Amino acid sequence: MISFLLRRLGAAVVLLLVLTAIVFGLQKLTPGDGVRAYVGANASPQAVAAARQHLALDSPLPEQYARYLWHALHGDFGTSLRTHDSVARDIGSFFPATAELVLCSFLIAVIMAVLFALSGAIRVPGGFLYRGVLLLGATAPPFLLGLGGLVLFYAHLGWLPASGRGDDTGPTHLILLDGLLHDNAGQFTGAAQHLVLPALALAIAPALAIGRILRSSLDTTLATEHVRTARAKGLRPSAVIARHVVRNSLGPALSMAGLQLGFMFAGVVVVEQIFNWPGIGNYLAESIPVADFPAIAGVTLLLGSIYIVVNAVVDVLQALADPRITL
Amino acid sequence: MSPSPATRRRTTALCAVAGLAVAALTACGSGSHSSSGAAGSSAPPSDGVLTLGLNGDIGQPPDPDIYYANNGVAIIQNVYEGLVKYKDGAGTVQIAPSLATSWSVNKGNTVYTFHLRHGVTFHDGTPFTSAAVGASFARRLAVNGGPAYMVAGVKNVATPDDYTAVVTLKQPNSAFLNYLASPFGPKMESPTGLAKHAGKDHDQAYLSKHDLGSGPYELTTAETGREYDLTAYLGYWGQKSPFTTVKLPVYNDVSSLELALDQGDISGAVNALPASSQSHYQSLSSVSNYFLPTLGAALLTLNPSKSFFKATAARMAFLKMIDQDKLVSQVMGQTSQPASTLYGKGMIAGGADKQNIGYDPSVMQAYAKTLPPNTPMTVGYATGNSNAQKMAAIIVAQLLADGVKASAQGYTTATVFSWPADPTKGPDAFVDGSNGPDGGDPYMWGHVFWDKSGGIDYFDCDDPAVDSMLNQAEKTGDTGLYVKAAETYSATGCYMNLAYNKDWVVTQKWVTNVPQAHNIGSFELNFNELGISKAS
Repeated sequence: MISFLLRRLGAAVVLLLVLTAIVFGLQKLTPGDGVRAYVGANASPQAVAAARQHLALDSPLPEQYARYLWHALHGDFGTSLRTHDSVARDIGSFFPATAELVLCSFLIAVIMAVLFALSGAIRVPGGFLYRGVLLLGATAPPFLLGLGGLVLFYAHLGWLPASGRGDDTGPTHLILLDGLLHDNAGQFTGAAQHLVLPALALAIAPALAIGRILRSSLDTTLATEHVRTARAKGLRPSAVIARHVVRNSLGPALSMAGLQLGFMFAGVVVVEQIFNWPGIGNYLAESIPVADFPAIAGVTLLLGSIYIVVNAVVDVLQALADPRITL
Repeated sequence: MSPSPATRRRTTALCAVAGLAVAALTACGSGSHSSSGAAGSSAPPSDGVLTLGLNGDIGQPPDPDIYYANNGVAIIQNVYEGLVKYKDGAGTVQIAPSLATSWSVNKGNTVYTFHLRHGVTFHDGTPFTSAAVGASFARRLAVNGGPAYMVAGVKNVATPDDYTAVVTLKQPNSAFLNYLASPFGPKMESPTGLAKHAGKDHDQAYLSKHDLGSGPYELTTAETGREYDLTAYLGYWGQKSPFTTVKLPVYNDVSSLELALDQGDISGAVNALPASSQSHYQSLSSVSNYFLPTLGAALLTLNPSKSFFKATAARMAFLKMIDQDKLVSQVMGQTSQPASTLYGKGMIAGGADKQNIGYDPSVMQAYAKTLPPNTPMTVGYATGNSNAQKMAAIIVAQLLADGVKASAQGYTTATVFSWPADPTKGPDAFVDGSNGPDGGDPYMWGHVFWDKSGGIDYFDCDDPAVDSMLNQAEKTGDTGLYVKAAETYSATGCYMNLAYNKDWVVTQKWVTNVPQAHNIGSFELNFNELGISKAS
């Protein structure tokens, strides 16, 4: 396990270096001038030049990159050209919202995927209806699902709020958790209400992807000889599934779940914009048009790190599920 | 495998639990709409809270010496005050008193004497005196942000007494009052606060989340990308408002903003909605629509560094092809009117700066025939500006009919502002759907749009003779020279003033006094001048 973690850490460092190098290289290739975001769109060329000098953005790109890496090692990811605040502080401020949204969406996606797979594998009554609705939902892009949800549940029915997160006053800024920690039912319910639509919009496509892989796995495992033997021995169907089917079917589904979780962090940009969810997706969406490269690089590093961690966790879980797999 | 009865019972139980959870979520808490009433209407707030949606984040910290973007001016003008301002509710640019009650200017336009208002305090309790003038100017220069140029010409600020400030300029400047009145102009900041919170960055960290102003509201919340809240300053010298709190939630998607407005969850939207939504809101009985004058404009600029427009004759032919009246009315509707002058509306008295391009599409048709078949050209627009996109598409359609292989292309803000550094990277033509000068003086228009040192001369189409005329006219205020500069620039064929833009403001019906609260220079509202209808 330790050697596995060390290998993964080494690979992570290399990957993150490559990511930052790509982002810095893109600065040179793309035509945008982020300094304009810093001083204002209408600023004179002299003001822009003075700001560029003040920000040390007039030095050669390799020098800027080396300086960025040095500061990053000390936890300083630069200053956002848009907010004029430290990128680390900005990300710290926006990330909890995204984490809460993605984790809740992922949980919903896993539950929906399991229901999808089980309803198909063990022929639950009405399961075809559920699978059909999920399939239909997954064919629509998240922004369309989001807008459709807003029009129906907010504008017409008035059941759910349209934007924001609720009362964010807690220490963790994960409002559901803060509501539980403070035993504040209103805060918890408010957060849940705000989460429903964006979480569903983000969860449906991954739910289908994971569900189909899981169902295929279940079908394959259910047809194996050892499952036939277990049935023949008189085990109850639920015991057959719990003891002999689930664990053997998990491998591919875990891989797909890890992949989808990574995609969800990327896909969150559109959903956060639709629902005015104050997360890093919105932060990134505001930074890209104005070429705020410190912010873009910071978010890229964060998302890259998350992806690496998620994949490592998936590998560990797969090894736990299947003893034949060695890390 | 068929499900057993036990499995079916468990499935039914799960569905019941899920249904109960949905019911609990929708029944508990606030649900959705914050106001009562049918969808599309809202009652006036009983808690004194006015909520206005922002279309996108303000883009920079709400620091008056940094802020040089767009919708954040709503915060700056309600939290800070300058010595003078543009008159609220006026249809033309008129300098009006603010923290200076009167002023005089010497004949050479080098010495400006301001008599200051008594009884004003900053939000930190510091009394406003003439000491604040020099301190505020000095801070602006130290920060050296985009709007620093407005006080770069100040030689010194003398304070013969607590309520007189004498500003002496290094060079004559007839536009200086307009600099001060500009929404981006220097605001008075508490010198006590500036000294206390200076830190290592001249108060920039402090003023990103707090304020040192004297305006009717204090900045109490500044959450980038989320919401900005203002709270009424109880010690304000001027008009008090029924709105003790103003909330400015950020909407990153205009559809969400429109839904919230339709449902009454926000009280209004200022300069935030696309022209395509006009028919919807003009038919909505729960809201009031206002089309209010601004200094803003839609402009068309041509790129002389591209082969298509290298020749002046080609540029003039293209401009003559534009049916300005039809283009503006078709795309912008009531939010604009076709421009007839070279400067902004009303900047030259009597409209002496007449734009004499003349609509004649046959000139471009004849020119297109001389070009090789399928000569390509690109008409650009800024992504996010749907009006500019539509105008670009209409122009492209016309060019295609003339046999030019034209296409419309969107560009991000950062890309657009990189063109002055290398105009060859830009498109052949650019439709700027919404832009405006910093203030109402013709110098502020001509310098910024026609002089490559000004900031928004996208393709560096520059005539040194025009720059010289503008600089000279700035010293003296010579209207004739301004007109000559404009006509000379117009002859380059690089520029067309397409439309005078208006500020389309939509509010719930119970919001009153909107036109009187609107400021022509800032495109925004003075919140303390808004009211609540007695009929509500």
